[in-house]
Amino acid sequence: MNYIIVGCGRVGAELCYRLFKSGHTVVVVDSRRESFNRLHPDFRGRTLEGEGLAESVLERAGIQEADGLAAVTNSDTLNAVVAHAARIIYNVPTVVARNYDPNLRVVIEAFGLQTVGSTYWGAQRVEELLTNPSQKMVFSAGNGEVEVYETLIPEAWNGSTLGDLLKPLTQCYPVALSRAGRSSLPEADTKLQTGDLLNVSSTFEGIGALTIRLAGKAEA
Amino acid sequence: MFVLIAGGGRTGTRLANLLLAQNYKVRLVEHRRDVLTRLHQELPTEVVYEGNSVDPSVLEAVGIREAHAMAAVTSEDSTNLALCFVSKNIFEVPRTIARVNNPVNAWLFNDKFKVDVALNSADVLAHLIQEEMSLGDMMTIFKIRRGHYSVVEEKVPAGAKAIGIPLKDMGLAEYCVIAAIIRDGVMTLPRGDSSLQENDEIIAVASPEGAQRLAELLAFPVYPVRNGKKRE
Repeated sequence: MNYIIVGCGRVGAELCYRLFKSGHTVVVVDSRRESFNRLHPDFRGRTLEGEGLAESVLERAGIQEADGLAAVTNSDTLNAVVAHAARIIYNVPTVVARNYDPNLRVVIEAFGLQTVGSTYWGAQRVEELLTNPSQKMVFSAGNGEVEVYETLIPEAWNGSTLGDLLKPLTQCYPVALSRAGRSSLPEADTKLQTGDLLNVSSTFEGIGALTIRLAGKAEA
Repeated sequence: MFVLIAGGGRTGTRLANLLLAQNYKVRLVEHRRDVLTRLHQELPTEVVYEGNSVDPSVLEAVGIREAHAMAAVTSEDSTNLALCFVSKNIFEVPRTIARVNNPVNAWLFNDKFKVDVALNSADVLAHLIQEEMSLGDMMTIFKIRRGHYSVVEEKVPAGAKAIGIPLKDMGLAEYCVIAAIIRDGVMTLPRGDSSLQENDEIIAVASPEGAQRLAELLAFPVYPVRNGKKRE
């Protein structure tokens, strides 16, 4: 596949190398020549010095034949505008814009673009690890608004039903229950045992509430 | 009328002052500290709002939902484009005007980004300079249709090709009309059989090509050599 990456900062350079290693053809655009120094020494792809908004630069990058474009500079408006132009003017099939400043995420969303907010997502992951170390995140959807966690059922909840545990929680749904290496789709009346691994699909608030609830009964 | 201005550079400040003088309601949004200090010296306090103009919560706070027009005149083209798009798509601002900083980005300033009017100052200025250089003594009085047509004034010099020829036979370009002739301080509206005399002043409406052709007709027969030196 042919991909165009606009912005050769840390995210851009890493993305270029990953795509290259997976066998894709990559063109990376940046307005500053020095930025290309960030690229991995083994990276083989085309570097193009120029303004990402200029028609001539996009066309030299081969936007007419591109299978995808990622705009990953540290300017949210530049990312949104380049990605929108790629989609609306050149009909690039897949377009992703990086969100840099979490306050400006709505701007990218206003264009209806797929966005990845590395700042927001990274901060949330760190917060999760700090505040809910017992919950292991196994899958993250979207920009981490909903995630699937794996949590261990403590002794205090042995013999209670899943319904008892989750009923008061509004933003936390059961996905799977694993016992002795076998998983099943749990029901509200499934009896919990110490050491069960419960997977829940939940928001950040939901997993916080579940953590408190699991610990609360143990203390009570 | 309520106008929101994004960007407090020279253009934004000047625009705010012009609109305030006409009793418009104006809010100018700017986030650069050093620029804000200057803005507070040049504009009334209630006009200046501190914040990142592309942040929708800032736009909401300055009352974008009541605004009749958004003038996006920051020094970043991508910001101006995003501002027009967001203003129109999210906040339904009826009219958006954007400044083009770098002429290579001008191709994006259109309906794709919900820009109603794009003002490319570098381009307008460059064309004006080019015109002034090529049209000799012709003076542009004002521009119409965003610079596509001009009203120009020129004095008929001695020896000009056009002297004595009826206007209809002069070979004026299609997009050029001589609207008035001022002779000895008296203005007349010419017809096709009127002709020009030395020292007449004429006022014409013309496209750039029309003005170019008119300048040729009114030119001295030979360009004088500058400073008596021949250029190599």
